[in-house]
Amino acid sequence: MQRRSEPTGSLRTGPYAVTMRDAWAWLRRHPWEADVALAGAILVGSLGQATADPLIGVVSLALAAAVVARRKYPLQAFAVAATVAALQVTYGLTPAGGYLVGAWQPTVADVALAVLLYTLAAHTPPRTSVAGLGVCVALSAIAIERWGPAHSAHPLDSILAAAALLGCVSLTAWVVGESVAYRHRAAYYASLEARAAQLEAERDAQARIAAAAERARELEVRRARAVDQSAARLRRIERDLHDGAQVRLAALAMTLGEIKENVESSADLAGDGGRTQMLISAAHRNAKETLTELRDLARGIHPPVLDQGIGPALHSLAETSAVPVRLALDIKHRPSPAIEAIAYFCAAELLANVAKHSSASKAEISVTSDREGFGMEVSDDGSGQAALSPEGGLEGLLERVLTVDGQLAIDSPAGGPTRITISLPGHA
Amino acid sequence: MNGTEEPGPLRVVIAEDAAIMRDGLTQTLTRRGHQVVAAVADGDSLLRAVSELQPNVAVIDVRMPPTHCDEGLQAAQAIKRDHPGVGVLVFSQYIETRSAAELFAGARGGVGYLLKDRVADVGDFIEAISQVARGGTVLDPEVVRHLLTASRRADALAALTPREREVLSLIAEGRSNTAIAETLVISPGVVEKHVAGIFAKLGLLPSDNDNRRVIAAMKYLQS
Repeated sequence: MQRRSEPTGSLRTGPYAVTMRDAWAWLRRHPWEADVALAGAILVGSLGQATADPLIGVVSLALAAAVVARRKYPLQAFAVAATVAALQVTYGLTPAGGYLVGAWQPTVADVALAVLLYTLAAHTPPRTSVAGLGVCVALSAIAIERWGPAHSAHPLDSILAAAALLGCVSLTAWVVGESVAYRHRAAYYASLEARAAQLEAERDAQARIAAAAERARELEVRRARAVDQSAARLRRIERDLHDGAQVRLAALAMTLGEIKENVESSADLAGDGGRTQMLISAAHRNAKETLTELRDLARGIHPPVLDQGIGPALHSLAETSAVPVRLALDIKHRPSPAIEAIAYFCAAELLANVAKHSSASKAEISVTSDREGFGMEVSDDGSGQAALSPEGGLEGLLERVLTVDGQLAIDSPAGGPTRITISLPGHA
Repeated sequence: MNGTEEPGPLRVVIAEDAAIMRDGLTQTLTRRGHQVVAAVADGDSLLRAVSELQPNVAVIDVRMPPTHCDEGLQAAQAIKRDHPGVGVLVFSQYIETRSAAELFAGARGGVGYLLKDRVADVGDFIEAISQVARGGTVLDPEVVRHLLTASRRADALAALTPREREVLSLIAEGRSNTAIAETLVISPGVVEKHVAGIFAKLGLLPSDNDNRRVIAAMKYLQS
């Protein structure tokens, strides 16, 4: 009952089947022991003949040895057996006792020749095994001719019977061997085909990987170009604002300021004059407020101090920070403008966070920048618990950092201190 | 600031790469009786004009060709080095505390640093130019505000009364006691009392010289 659960359990229909199947499986697992057993069987079978004639004992031993060696040396083993058989035939060695088939009788050990022909057919190319078959048939023919059933009472019957028996044995051994060889070859070809198909699939997969890698490289280059171009475009927009709208608006505000002063000093403040003065004041105030807004906007697009490098830009940030900031800058190599801009906006946002949320008394920005890349750490002695949250400032920074394959790590246990580390490549 | 002494006509050099602003400033100054002896668009022309024409004051935009970075600032420093008697008023779209500190570091007086927006209040702007031409010191209120917010001396500053903080800001902007009195509508005697109080609380050496006062206040706030 317990065995039923095993996958092979249902096949075990009785003790006999189990024994046979197990024995067969054991033999398949132990071919060497099987051959030794076969050789042993041959020797035991030959025991009677060998005691009658010691020479037959020698022949039997030689044939049994060939059987033991058959798997490793099929051709040599067959050659030894064929040679022993040829010597038997040449020197007329024949077991004592009655004739089985007419005048001719092989030794019991000659069974080994059939086994070895089978082995030859199973393990060597067809050309070799056909030659082996030829040798066996020839030896059989010579044997039949030499111990002449031709001299018996019914010569033709005896010859036919002997030829049929020996021929059949040889042919059967050969055919069985060849069919095994064919099965092996077929399996081998099938495995070759499977291997070829697998190789082809692997080659296809590799080609796809290579294509994907190529595409990734191409996209990386394009992304870098896009990031650089976007940084350059923002810088140009800021410059255009500076040289265009901002300066025109400043000039306009100046003119309004002059008009305002003129009106104040000359106009009759009653009636329409007062109203004009009010309108001009409003226009003047609006112009000034717009100037401030425009300045903040332009600065948010691209802080001009960045043109002098990330170092001066961080100094400028630190100077305007509400929380005192210590700077430790080690800038051996300036990163590309796009990277500088990302680093600057990260530092600005992080310092703003420090001032807003951390209740820290001091902060520190340390930067190392060389040809390998750009690293920045912003730390404070505040209350900690800074974390990524959707729509949060840190999330936005992470997005920015990821656009150039950078990294952002947050270490901010409850109770502080907070340490935010950003690594960026030297260029996009 | 109408109460300050009425200055005579000034000889002014303007360095500004935007034509509209250059022309606007020229017209405004001219209308008020000053003489714009040169209006140039880059740093090199500015240095040439200053050494040839020896104006009372140079009004300089920070960002000018060729690099549009801080040519104006560097030219202003060169002028203060080579022609200490020429006042320099640097004005900029953005103010950088560092730039202000650099500019003020080497000068004994006759320097100003203002946000470009200040041109909108024409009277104040012209007054700032006059003040710098006379050897005075002018610092943009925005810079002062930054200095006050970011100062490491928060504890000491907390000891000041709100009024004293106001007075400190005005000192840092380069205002004289008279100007401070007018701005806050209090008597000059009260201003003097506040100033003495501030300097005592911050441990600064009192000084009658407005310029030295500004620089002392700035250094204090920056340190």
